[in-house]
Amino acid sequence: MRDLSALQAQFGAGLDAPVCTADALEIFLGEPEQVKNRFEIYRGNTMANAVKAIGATYPVIEKMVGAEFFTGLAREYRSRFPPNNGDLNEYGESFAAFLGDFPPATQIPYLADVARLEWQVHLAHYAADPAPFDPARLACVPPERQLQLRPWLHPACHVLHSDHPIARLWEVHQDAFSGEFEVDFSQGPEHALVFRPHYRVEVAQIGEAEAAFLAAALAGGTLETALAAAQSRSATFDLGRALGKWVESSVIVDLKLNGG
Amino acid sequence: MSLLSASESNAAVRGVGVGLRASHYREFLDLQPQVDWLEVHSENYFGDGGYDLHVLERLRPHYPVSLHGVALSLGSADGVRAAHLAKLKRLVDRIEPALVSEHLCWAALGPRHFNDLLPLPYTREALDQVVSQVAQVQETLQRGVLVENVSSYLQFRASEMSEFAFLAELAKRSGCAILLDVNNLFVNSVNHGFDPAQALLEIPGEAVGEIHLAGHCVAGDLLIDDHGSRVVPQVWSLYEAACRRLGPVPALIEWDTSIPPLDVLLDEARTAARISQAAHA
Repeated sequence: MRDLSALQAQFGAGLDAPVCTADALEIFLGEPEQVKNRFEIYRGNTMANAVKAIGATYPVIEKMVGAEFFTGLAREYRSRFPPNNGDLNEYGESFAAFLGDFPPATQIPYLADVARLEWQVHLAHYAADPAPFDPARLACVPPERQLQLRPWLHPACHVLHSDHPIARLWEVHQDAFSGEFEVDFSQGPEHALVFRPHYRVEVAQIGEAEAAFLAAALAGGTLETALAAAQSRSATFDLGRALGKWVESSVIVDLKLNGG
Repeated sequence: MSLLSASESNAAVRGVGVGLRASHYREFLDLQPQVDWLEVHSENYFGDGGYDLHVLERLRPHYPVSLHGVALSLGSADGVRAAHLAKLKRLVDRIEPALVSEHLCWAALGPRHFNDLLPLPYTREALDQVVSQVAQVQETLQRGVLVENVSSYLQFRASEMSEFAFLAELAKRSGCAILLDVNNLFVNSVNHGFDPAQALLEIPGEAVGEIHLAGHCVAGDLLIDDHGSRVVPQVWSLYEAACRRLGPVPALIEWDTSIPPLDVLLDEARTAARISQAAHA
């Protein structure tokens, strides 16, 4: 008699095999033909559940390439990189790299970058909730020390760089989008900001100075170092305006002095 | 260590609950519809934060919550995944649910997770393995859990006992409670050809802490447990028989595919409540 470990190994091998083999089937009761048909249900489920998870994380990619082609991509991805984790929200991180490397997908040059953006949108959805920000607490910071404050970004925030207009591509493929379906592919490289005001994940295109500021803040810099990084890209960067906008939209969720 | 028995652990949960799904969040937040309790899939709330957890925490003061896991793989031959169990522990500590449940199945082996509820061979060896893994989970969570019978399409030649005999032994030896899924029982009785009413008698009544009710679909000679429709009359009859045999046990309406308006779920919950009350009158 086979032990539990051998039976599960045989079952699993049958689920992963490109074509179901007789080997996997002999451990079950019933007529071979019936067992084969029923085993196909498990093979279908395990594939479908991984494909469904990829679809839930990459809805914009699915809209861009169409449901049929997308399912083909997701199945191919699942065959090459099968899940190793019962938490399917953690599955699919390498989908962008796969799209950048899989010839049928590389025909659309921006696909991999949009997928990188969608992975960050997905992570943002489950990112931690910051403590509520009380700007009144800053009143006791003396003016000469204000530039020593460190801006804290919402855990959901992420800045991406791309040669393609990924923020705009993401925007026009949202269900709620109702404007002109127009994307300017001639605009050159861009930075996209993922952020989450009021539990709703949003994506915005930001300028180079803003991206430099947020990158410095994410690296743990003070307002002073972040401002210097921004001003090296654009001399007209307006700190007050940027802070106001980012606090309002929960990009910056706290400002702290060292140890404070 | 003292673990809560089935009867203690479900003390906060009475009557009929429904599965909370994202498409009904708004209605629950705005209207707090009358339903006895809520159940969610644990894995959907494994994140650090975000909207799903926010909603669950907003509803938690208003409804007893049950955390129902689908991917812990209690029956893996090579052990329960520590990382998955740690996430469940974090969620249990955060939500303080009334009930915590999982399935009598396996899904993970070695580096692979198959993301499905795969049946076990009902052998003495598998029983020893599952007993020790359920004990490990209960020890980690510092509470008792419920373990559910699954629907299946295949049976192992190696099995030495029925699923329910296995589940009864598991409950006796690990101290876990049984989550009796009446739809799964019916689906299996058709798929494997046995009398579901007879099988019901194998269940130790005092160990049952929760009942699941759901719809299934028909595919040729097979019933598929898709949770995508109303409970069928045969399953309501089995539920009535279970109510008579088990006494008042909290029941849940599950719906996971083609999710209808909330009113349909609440209507199913009212039907379950009527049957339960009539059975105990």
